[in-house]
Amino acid sequence: MHYTFHWETAFKAMPQLLWGAATTLEIAALSMIFGIALAIMLALFAQSQNPVLKAIHVTWVEIARNTPALFQVYMVYFGLGSLGLRLDSFPSLVAGVTFNNAGYLAEAFRGGLHAIPETQVRAARSLGMTAPQVFISIVLPQLFRIVFYPITNQIVWAILMTSLGVVVGLTDDLMGVTQQLNVVTFRTFEYFTIAAVLYYLLAKSVTVTARLMAGRLFRY
Amino acid sequence: MTLDIPPNGFRDDKSEPSGFDVDYCRDLAKVLGVEPEIVETQLPDRIPAIMSNRADIAVASTSDTLERAKTIGFSIPYFAYKQVVLTRKDTGITSYEGIKGHKTGAVAGTFEGLQWEADVKKLNDPNTTFRAYQSQADVILALSQGQIDATPVISTMTNELIKSGKYPDLVVAGDTPYVPDYVALVTLRSEQGLINYMDLFINQQVRTGRYAELYKKWIGEGDVVDLTVKGVYR
Repeated sequence: MHYTFHWETAFKAMPQLLWGAATTLEIAALSMIFGIALAIMLALFAQSQNPVLKAIHVTWVEIARNTPALFQVYMVYFGLGSLGLRLDSFPSLVAGVTFNNAGYLAEAFRGGLHAIPETQVRAARSLGMTAPQVFISIVLPQLFRIVFYPITNQIVWAILMTSLGVVVGLTDDLMGVTQQLNVVTFRTFEYFTIAAVLYYLLAKSVTVTARLMAGRLFRY
Repeated sequence: MTLDIPPNGFRDDKSEPSGFDVDYCRDLAKVLGVEPEIVETQLPDRIPAIMSNRADIAVASTSDTLERAKTIGFSIPYFAYKQVVLTRKDTGITSYEGIKGHKTGAVAGTFEGLQWEADVKKLNDPNTTFRAYQSQADVILALSQGQIDATPVISTMTNELIKSGKYPDLVVAGDTPYVPDYVALVTLRSEQGLINYMDLFINQQVRTGRYAELYKKWIGEGDVVDLTVKGVYR
């Protein structure tokens, strides 16, 4: 092999890489918050009688789940840009990952809503509760338990998807920082290995935290 | 090879690799007595391709910087570029200094990209931003859409872009203050024998007139770019 390893240069860049990891978490968190909100909205659209809302749900979910995330991020930045709607790299990445998250989570939420017996809702309404009250007190707590693991999965996926920021010029997240260091020094193996370890640690901390939370929240 | 930098590397109407670099590559393969297998890479991926053995030689207008020379081996220069500022007609940028206060970008890790980014950082102006993209095509796309207002490009390529008529809004806004960009053939640092052979090949291309012939074919009329640096031996 013609490669001599220079791990010291890579370790010297640890502060930059850690800041990149922090930005990655920020992007993932934002995309999950917006994604969950949109997913609930889409799941409710799917259940409504309005054909327009149903169409929105179907189109969104079909595109989000059946096209590459790279394509979706690229489309937000360059595709909307060609129509005159210019978003900068950071908002484009958040928007692209949110679009993807919402599509996948909408199906999880839809399945969850189906799993809650209709009888409970009818019983609650007959007691005099309003529809929003029913949704918040009866439906959401049960829904949360059902979709908890799909959401956790999607958080991990969102963290990994933030690496697509490089194709739209984002150099602040972990992959962006790694690539910037790489193209100047070409210590590809060292930098990408450290980045992979950091991604692994981020993803693992999410799943471990989720498992601990599930233990406390779903005790009964 | 990099095929989104016309006229040195691009794909023609039949999607075949074409250009000055491609012809040089074919010439080199002919004298070596082998069939060239063209591995297309984006600009930031040329050197990683050599390092990971996906390609043996890079004929892709790679600037011979000292930083890169720590990792791979360069031949003597086989071409030299002038870097100019490419912008749109509506930005009002007319010179290199005019980029202040604008969004800018370039291809990650390139000779001109790194210098431009350093100058942007020196300006220390929050309104002057820099974005690094992963391919030359993406940079041109971003420029034409307005995501960035200016970018450094080699002058041969800007001539091609404007001549093609596909980008009527793009205009050149003066030269960059960078030294001439000499580009060389790239291979592994340990392959000294191959580097010597490539040096001789480049020498012979000029001696036999092939350099001038290809220059006229792809770049056009005018004096060929001088590949020597006066006052130093090589």
